[in-house]
Amino acid sequence: MSALPGAPGRTAVRGAARPPAASRRRWTFDRVSLVVVFLGVPLALYLVFVLYPFTQAAWYSLTSWSGFTATQEFIGLENYRRLLGDGLFLQAIGNSLSLLVVVPAVTLVLSFALACLLTFGGSSTGAVRGLSGSSFYRVVSFFPYVVPAIVVGIIFGRVYDPSAGLLNGVLTGLGLGRFQDFAWLGEPATALWAVIVVIVWSFVGFYMVLFVASIRAIPAEIFEAARIDGAGRFRTAVFIAAPGIAGSLRTAYVYLGIFALDAFVFLAAMNPDGGPGNSTLVITQQIFSTAFTQGRFGLACAMGVVLAVLTFVFTGLVLGIGQLLARRGAKEARA
Amino acid sequence: MSESTPLQRRRFLGLALAGTLLPAATAACAASGGGEEPGGGSGPTGEVSDQNPFGVAEGAAVDAVIFDGGYGTDYVSFVAAQYADLHGGGTLTVSPSTQIAQELQPRFVGGNPPDLVDNSGANAIGLATIAAQLEDLTPLTEAKNTDGEVIADTLYPGMLDDGTYDGRLVQLNYVLTVYGLWYSKTLFDANGWTAPATWDDALALGAAAREQGKYLFCWGKEAASYYLTLAVDSAVKEGGDEVRVAMGNLEADAWSHPAVQAVLGKMAEAVQAGYFRPGGAGTQFTAAQAQWSQAQEALLYPSGSWIENEMKSQTAPDFQMTCAPPPSVTAGAAMPAAAFHASAGEPFVVPSRGANTAGGMEVLRLMLSKEAATNFARTKLSSTIVRDTVPQDAFGSTALASQIAMLDAAGEDTYTFNFNDVYGFTSQNNVLWNGFLSGQLDVAGLTSGLQQQFDQTREDSGITKVEVS
Repeated sequence: MSALPGAPGRTAVRGAARPPAASRRRWTFDRVSLVVVFLGVPLALYLVFVLYPFTQAAWYSLTSWSGFTATQEFIGLENYRRLLGDGLFLQAIGNSLSLLVVVPAVTLVLSFALACLLTFGGSSTGAVRGLSGSSFYRVVSFFPYVVPAIVVGIIFGRVYDPSAGLLNGVLTGLGLGRFQDFAWLGEPATALWAVIVVIVWSFVGFYMVLFVASIRAIPAEIFEAARIDGAGRFRTAVFIAAPGIAGSLRTAYVYLGIFALDAFVFLAAMNPDGGPGNSTLVITQQIFSTAFTQGRFGLACAMGVVLAVLTFVFTGLVLGIGQLLARRGAKEARA
Repeated sequence: MSESTPLQRRRFLGLALAGTLLPAATAACAASGGGEEPGGGSGPTGEVSDQNPFGVAEGAAVDAVIFDGGYGTDYVSFVAAQYADLHGGGTLTVSPSTQIAQELQPRFVGGNPPDLVDNSGANAIGLATIAAQLEDLTPLTEAKNTDGEVIADTLYPGMLDDGTYDGRLVQLNYVLTVYGLWYSKTLFDANGWTAPATWDDALALGAAAREQGKYLFCWGKEAASYYLTLAVDSAVKEGGDEVRVAMGNLEADAWSHPAVQAVLGKMAEAVQAGYFRPGGAGTQFTAAQAQWSQAQEALLYPSGSWIENEMKSQTAPDFQMTCAPPPSVTAGAAMPAAAFHASAGEPFVVPSRGANTAGGMEVLRLMLSKEAATNFARTKLSSTIVRDTVPQDAFGSTALASQIAMLDAAGEDTYTFNFNDVYGFTSQNNVLWNGFLSGQLDVAGLTSGLQQQFDQTREDSGITKVEVS
């Protein structure tokens, strides 16, 4: 800096007039405030509220901490060894993985199909458009997403009630006598599916709206060209709409997958103890009961770390495979 | 929106990070600020006398965190004036809470816990977790109450059993809880039924119930383990103390004991015969309880004495809720017919690192006086563990009157067990018992599931065991 000492104001003014390359290292008030507000604060929040608790949890997973003492005894990988031999935890992982496979797949297929209907599934004469009244359907199907998950869980807990529930009321009313007092959430064969239906129900509307917006972003001429070439609605959906919104699909898949690995709220409302034969027990419920009812925070943290690793692996796989596919697609397009 | 830029992906990873480890992360937050020296200890002390057995300093304040559940907190505040009178105007601050574990975790970690805690409710702290940080309350039971009687002599028998951990009395359960079979006296009188004394009586009653289109029992998914309590209560009555001790110590063949197997066999008969209202494994538990108290589709419900209060708004008029002891298997059971499971709830603890532990104990001493205990019984229609505070008419409550009558009839023949609470078994018990009561699990399957849980816990060196004798 060649500026005279004691005259920072002048330096700043002169600095501003210089070409950008030269002023890159100059700490003007503008730059400093920008860095502090847009980089410093978020980074600090991230460090304090995300990374620090993260490392703390990882550290606790190596201790036998009960949760109520000021010190923790280091026990190495003992907690992880314990988890490997814990049949209940392994069953919970299995259930969580089932949710991970089924929930995003069903939700995405359903919401994509609905989005197609609302964007280009309408009359095949005139301009490409959705079903009539599509804006009404769009609003209505968004409603479930607005209801908090815990409320959805409680409502469906009552809908599935064996003797007073809406579902069995309708089914027995239709003459299906075997559903008299049938416990949807209490039978090993139906419990997990009953839960999946509820989760899918609450998310389909949101992703449908998301996909409608993405499909609208695809130029309408492409749809028209496809129609002129004789493509039906199904072919249009698979070969025009789906590749056109691949990014959204991938993002939605990751988000739904992360959600399916959690699923705590729905299950806490519908089957808080693990369901028939533990068929609806998920990892997060195990974490909660291990930490708070058994007072084993060290072990619970180890479960949390396992869950985090699972999530990273899943996210990495989805994004990695997505990128691979996109690269191959681009190569084919060039060839 | 159609492609994911690196920026979006990074943000996504961030979201993933924030979202997934949240359970662990919240746990982690709690320990920050730990490692400091205790702020309290026993604090300043006053002169020890019969009126001040723990040496509370003049004017020392007491900080109490009280579970704000069905009983409220006013029964603790009730003694505030008396405490101030006795101890130079010292104040008793009562902070109500329904999140005991979440609220007090940082205070235990930080070494500044309250002087008195009512560690109750769904979010109570597991006793094993904090037992080492709690005062031994034996001096309290040896002290004299405000009427000059030794406190231990004023209590119903067996009331202190559940509070002992590692040979130390670390918690005092304040409210008497009677476990048994509950029924409507009106309904039973109208049909000429009596409460079953043995499981064969119960099965006969089940047949009579089916004739009227009713069931013997009903259950709810979150409370299936009430039937475990009933089964163990019956088995202890049948087989005597050795069953209770084997269960309490998680012994290797506790669930194979002949008395236990006999009870489970009878229950399985009831399940097979269709005496349990179907669908319980999918029914929310208070809805199930209403099937018994409101719709009267089931005759009997096994529960603790909180049931009257819990179902107050969902009980049929003139129900006359009444309790009976658990049935034995044979007439020649090890314990007399009047024997039953009596224990106490609302566990009060005094953390050792509180600023005024003497004050915490003193408040408990005042709560155990005749005056405060009678006030509790009158306002809550439940008895405390203090004897003779409920008049003959039981303030008009048939449930309370039947409890007191049972206690008088049983004398010393009451028992208790608490391995489910100590080791946090309730969730898995619910899973197993939902399966058993809905017919998916047979006796062998139920036995092996329950025994496996015992064996795993017993052999896990990371879990502190409570010796039962």
